[in-house]
Amino acid sequence: MSSNMIMLKSSDGASFEIEEAAARKSKIIANMIEVECVDEDKAIPLQNVTGNILALVIEYCNKHIVDDDDDVATEEASEEEEEAKKKKVDDWEAEFMNSMSLETMFELLLAANYLNIKSLIDLVCQTIANNIKDKTPEEVRKIFSIENDFTPEEEEEIRKENAWAFG
Amino acid sequence: MNREQSLDSIPIDLIIEIHSRLPAKSVARFRSVSKLWCSMLRNPYFTELFLTRSWTRPRLLLALKRNSEWTFFSTPQPQNPYEKSSFVIADFHMKYLPKDPDSCFYNSLMTLTSGLIYFSSLPINKYDYTEPVICNPRTGQYAILPPKLSRREPYSFFGFDPISKKFKVLSVATSYYNRYYDRVNILTLETGKMRWRKIECSLAHIPPIDTSKWICINGVLYYVAVALRPTGNYDESYVIVCFDVGSEKFKFIDIECLDGKLINYKGKLGGISWGYKDNILELSMWILEDVEKKKLSKHVYTSWENGLVDPENHFIVGITSTGEIVLSLKVTSKPFCVFYFNPERNTLQSVKIQGLENDSQVYAFVDDVEDLNVNDVKELKSISVFKGGLNILWKRPSRSRDLSIAALSLKDKQPKTCFLKNKYESLALE
Repeated sequence: MSSNMIMLKSSDGASFEIEEAAARKSKIIANMIEVECVDEDKAIPLQNVTGNILALVIEYCNKHIVDDDDDVATEEASEEEEEAKKKKVDDWEAEFMNSMSLETMFELLLAANYLNIKSLIDLVCQTIANNIKDKTPEEVRKIFSIENDFTPEEEEEIRKENAWAFG
Repeated sequence: MNREQSLDSIPIDLIIEIHSRLPAKSVARFRSVSKLWCSMLRNPYFTELFLTRSWTRPRLLLALKRNSEWTFFSTPQPQNPYEKSSFVIADFHMKYLPKDPDSCFYNSLMTLTSGLIYFSSLPINKYDYTEPVICNPRTGQYAILPPKLSRREPYSFFGFDPISKKFKVLSVATSYYNRYYDRVNILTLETGKMRWRKIECSLAHIPPIDTSKWICINGVLYYVAVALRPTGNYDESYVIVCFDVGSEKFKFIDIECLDGKLINYKGKLGGISWGYKDNILELSMWILEDVEKKKLSKHVYTSWENGLVDPENHFIVGITSTGEIVLSLKVTSKPFCVFYFNPERNTLQSVKIQGLENDSQVYAFVDDVEDLNVNDVKELKSISVFKGGLNILWKRPSRSRDLSIAALSLKDKQPKTCFLKNKYESLALE
């Protein structure tokens, strides 16, 4: 495994050094490396990601690079060990997401989407889902800044159809 | 980037990704957020994605019966078989209360297929008169079926055809009492007037009384029956009846080994039975590997912790899609545990379930999957109609047995508050 370092630059000008293996968690960056459009001396500019969010993305990628290495190296590891390891990663992810505000989660989701990091998209979507699952439609409108475009009659009708969900 | 901007720019496919991970109840509620969300959350693309995700988080559905009341709960099935023990708080779905709380002397078969429950007889309108009912244990939507044709209680089974996406009830009216009489009828769950249709069956047979001898797998209804062959003096032998729900055709398999609770073993028919042999608890499982060749495989397991479970107090619920045999207590008590035994890995996991009502008879179903299409089934009456319909509570009722709850229906705009608001928390602390 190569331990080349590459540089990433956020939209607000912050630079981050990251191992190539970790950066490859992003399909976009991996592609850039494949087609050799990464200049070793120059940072890759990421215009849609701010520094504080990029720091989170890098933290996530660094954590997961190890796990991917292990997948190859320990093919003979017992299923039990695999499960234990998975549990450890799950715990880390829970901790990682735990202190984040909904606002940060949405920004992180957009960044993960832009950089195309599938597992991070999954993680953030699930966390947002857990956060909003018990909310009322009014609260959800606020969170997603959505305007209620139903007439009162229409809204009443929809609520009636799904009455069980309001119990 | 301020919040408004960031949220405006969240692409719809990410919004869909988030919603596909919500419980079905939240999805139904969020349909009233806006017109766009309403159509997004009803779109077949979304409902299919939701179903695919649901399959990855199958649940254990618990139906508890105490006197005449039924209460439905579910819990996630554990993902890591190596975790020795864990605990969950059951999600409460709904409670059905007959109008007359004394109407407890009815005996109903109750079976779950693809998200809907079939009661062979339930007192709906009158306490002394029961009717066959199909209901959704999550939404409370229901359909009362036309009365069955035979006055003597015929045996009926509930099946789902995944191709036509139709639910059907099969009724077989042969019994030991009128054994020369054979009448087979079927009913399709549909909107409008439903009716029983007579269908052909080449072999007179007596179906099982016990719902554990019945299962629907991938559009085929299987049950163990006694075949009555007119070879002089009516030979009796056991057969497995395979009824194709889509084509409505019967097939019969003569096979000796038919013990135990019928199970869905990774899409194949199987059976599990257990008991003591020389003081050792033995669990045996057969799997019908090949229907045409009548090829069976048999497996016996003894190497599991003794004393934890026993056939007197526990029953076999079934086997999950990941191969865990599930065992549950027959009656709820504190603590209430469900066991997941994986014979391949030789792991036994206990899951303590909190938040259930005590002293209730337990019925349980593995691999229950939330399906938005089932929750939106047009053939079932929406509960909001509520004219002479079912009494249903969607809030976890308080533990104190207050029969006045039974008198409450959702029609009451302001129910006298016998619901504990923070029931959820209070149970978690116990």
